[in-house]
Amino acid sequence: MKDKIFGVLQRVGRSFMLSIALLPVAGLLLGIGSSFTNATMLEAYGLTGIIYPGSFLYTVLDIMNQCGSAVFNNLALLFAMGVAIGMAKKEKEVAALSGAIAYLVMNTAISAMINAAGGVEAMAPNSTTSTLGITTLQMGVFGGIIVGLGVAALHNRFYKIRLPQVLSFFGGTRFVPIISTAVYLVVGIAMFYVWPVVQSGISKLGTLVVNSGYAGTWIYGIIERALIPFGLHHVFYMPFWQTALGGSAVIDGVVVQGAQNIFFAELASKSTEVFSVSATRFMSGKFPFMIFGLVGASLAMYRCARPEKRKIVGGLLLSAALTSMLTGITEPLEFTFLFVAPVMYVVHCVYAGLSYMLMHILNVGVGMTFSGGIIDLTLFGILQGNEKTHWIWIVVVGIVYFFLYYFTFSLMIRKMNLKTPGREDDDQETKLYTRSDFKSKTGIGPDGSSPAKTSSDPVSAMILQGLGGKKNLSDVDCCATRLRVTVIDSDKVSDQILKASGASGVIHKGNGIQVIYGPQVAVIKSNLVDFMETPEADNLGDAPIAAPAPAAAAEPAKTGKCAVLGAHMSGTVVPLAEVADEAFASGAMGEGVAIEPGEGKLYAPADGVIETVFETKHAVAMTTDEGVELLMHIGIDTVKLGGKYFEAHVAAEQKVQKGDLLISFDKKAIQAEGYPLTTPMIVCNTDDYSAVQVLASGAVKPGADLLEVQG
Amino acid sequence: MKQFAYTIQDPLGIHARPAGLLTKEAKKYASLCTITKNGVTVKAGQLMKLMSLGVKQGDTVTVTAEGEDEDTAIAGLKAFFEANL
Repeated sequence: MKDKIFGVLQRVGRSFMLSIALLPVAGLLLGIGSSFTNATMLEAYGLTGIIYPGSFLYTVLDIMNQCGSAVFNNLALLFAMGVAIGMAKKEKEVAALSGAIAYLVMNTAISAMINAAGGVEAMAPNSTTSTLGITTLQMGVFGGIIVGLGVAALHNRFYKIRLPQVLSFFGGTRFVPIISTAVYLVVGIAMFYVWPVVQSGISKLGTLVVNSGYAGTWIYGIIERALIPFGLHHVFYMPFWQTALGGSAVIDGVVVQGAQNIFFAELASKSTEVFSVSATRFMSGKFPFMIFGLVGASLAMYRCARPEKRKIVGGLLLSAALTSMLTGITEPLEFTFLFVAPVMYVVHCVYAGLSYMLMHILNVGVGMTFSGGIIDLTLFGILQGNEKTHWIWIVVVGIVYFFLYYFTFSLMIRKMNLKTPGREDDDQETKLYTRSDFKSKTGIGPDGSSPAKTSSDPVSAMILQGLGGKKNLSDVDCCATRLRVTVIDSDKVSDQILKASGASGVIHKGNGIQVIYGPQVAVIKSNLVDFMETPEADNLGDAPIAAPAPAAAAEPAKTGKCAVLGAHMSGTVVPLAEVADEAFASGAMGEGVAIEPGEGKLYAPADGVIETVFETKHAVAMTTDEGVELLMHIGIDTVKLGGKYFEAHVAAEQKVQKGDLLISFDKKAIQAEGYPLTTPMIVCNTDDYSAVQVLASGAVKPGADLLEVQG
Repeated sequence: MKQFAYTIQDPLGIHARPAGLLTKEAKKYASLCTITKNGVTVKAGQLMKLMSLGVKQGDTVTVTAEGEDEDTAIAGLKAFFEANL
């Protein structure tokens, strides 16, 4: 039940995204337009000579201002259509049309009821408004969401309806607008009675919120951040931004409800002297930690990474930090530590809450379109002038926040030994490495020796595979940063493959799966959907898309000097001659030794570089730092398993240290299939050595001295 | 220099074991034997490099032999490929 509610909320949340995605552009128009038509601002910047009422530039800017406002003023209609599209399963365009009609019908019905009751004067003060020229109840964006959700439900129920022969013309999708009209006529009448009650409830809650003061702002901030991992933050802040819950104000004689609406109404108004902090308290707090704090956090993670990993980690963190700074999209960064160090995320939530509270206390009145990056700060803070917004405090608090995050995070990472990027041990390293491998794969094929299974779209193929194949998907969508998927069997989802495809994290909630990719997710989703239409998507086998084979490039210097190799697994030592495979036993491939494994894990016998991980993952070739060329081959004839039961933890060209986990395998399952598991370790360049000597017999532990090569 | 092209028939490609046998075969000859796939050339006697070519079923490789016994070498390799791969 809980999972089901989460699934529905998740879908509601993502159905908001289509409309929310429009806000930055509308905000840009409104921000630029209103800033440069504001008399105070024009005087402050000495532009009165070029931009004055009646001049060409002024008119253009005013048009931008008003068109931007149009989007914010009609957000409810956009939500009615957007949510209907988002929630409809198929034939989404019909749902959009029905949403628009239902919204008009509902408001018109309310309007008629208001007239019948004696007009606006008979209603409670501030409870009515004018939407699209219809006098109706002040429902804000909720009105649109109610329509969108209801229409989508009707749509999903009726879009395939069959009517009796005479009426068959009106069947199927054509029935959806019809039934929506009828239903929302009734809903409109009902709303006339119900909504005033809801309204007074909301406004009482709103008063409570307003009276909650600074502590209330702090709690709001904590909850908003804490909901990010669940993807439910949009559902949480929307009522504050868009309804009386976030306050009401009278601007230029019009009643405006909701924090964001108030801010933008004040922005568009020429008479605003100072922005209402009672509204921006729900927004301004984002700026200090998004532009400064999280950047400090990234620096902390970078400085704490192992020196040899810094280059990779640095690139990863830099792009995530820049995204946060510029656009206020923080998920790519937050998810780098959310999964590996949840305790850091808890601290982050508390700091974020404090940031909201500080902005409230310091009277900072900077609004935003949907998040708090430099772009929004410039438009809605700096350009508006410090007298109106007090934006300078964002920078002051921000600088403090930078150091606060940097020192707290550094301390936590070091003291608690948290595995932030670049600090992981063995198998988790795959994440960063596979990603970089992946780039080199999608870029220029390394040397033409790419695997036979070259896919037309390797990323989508990988994602689809990670999600358990096309047949496992019931529904694919995305929001600002995550791919949101409903699967049939969540056990088939492989986090490892998904992360290898570039995801920074995967969230499971019952059958709802969220894969976090960052802002480019819209493109990833489209590609995935396109890829799913191709026959290739149907033919994805079980074998994962292998990492590219390494370039057969410069030969490592073969010094042929003495070296000792550790045992590559735990188990019992078997002389090579006794291995049940002529190719190994004869020494044809080189001298070596075998182990009958005690557990299903293969470890690096020495420090070195992985040369090849076989596509079937049953064998690994590596060159040690001393120049010993090693082949480790798990089991006999296991190539025929095609990769089943094997999991590779390293990829070609990856540096490994002695004792790093290379491959894990399901010992029981492989034996059950009838394959022996004796695992030879062969010195391929035996010719470079005068002798290869086995040092141990009987039971060995991984890493114990096993084989010596003599120069 | 002698050479021939060969398309791999074995469903498993040149995996570890045949690679080992091929190495052994190549070492029998004094000539320099090489395998080329998609423009990448490796010595047939180097197991490590051979495996990293990642040769699969359906891939076409070019096998060359150069040296005093190149005629016997190329014939031997051709027989080996046809019998094993």
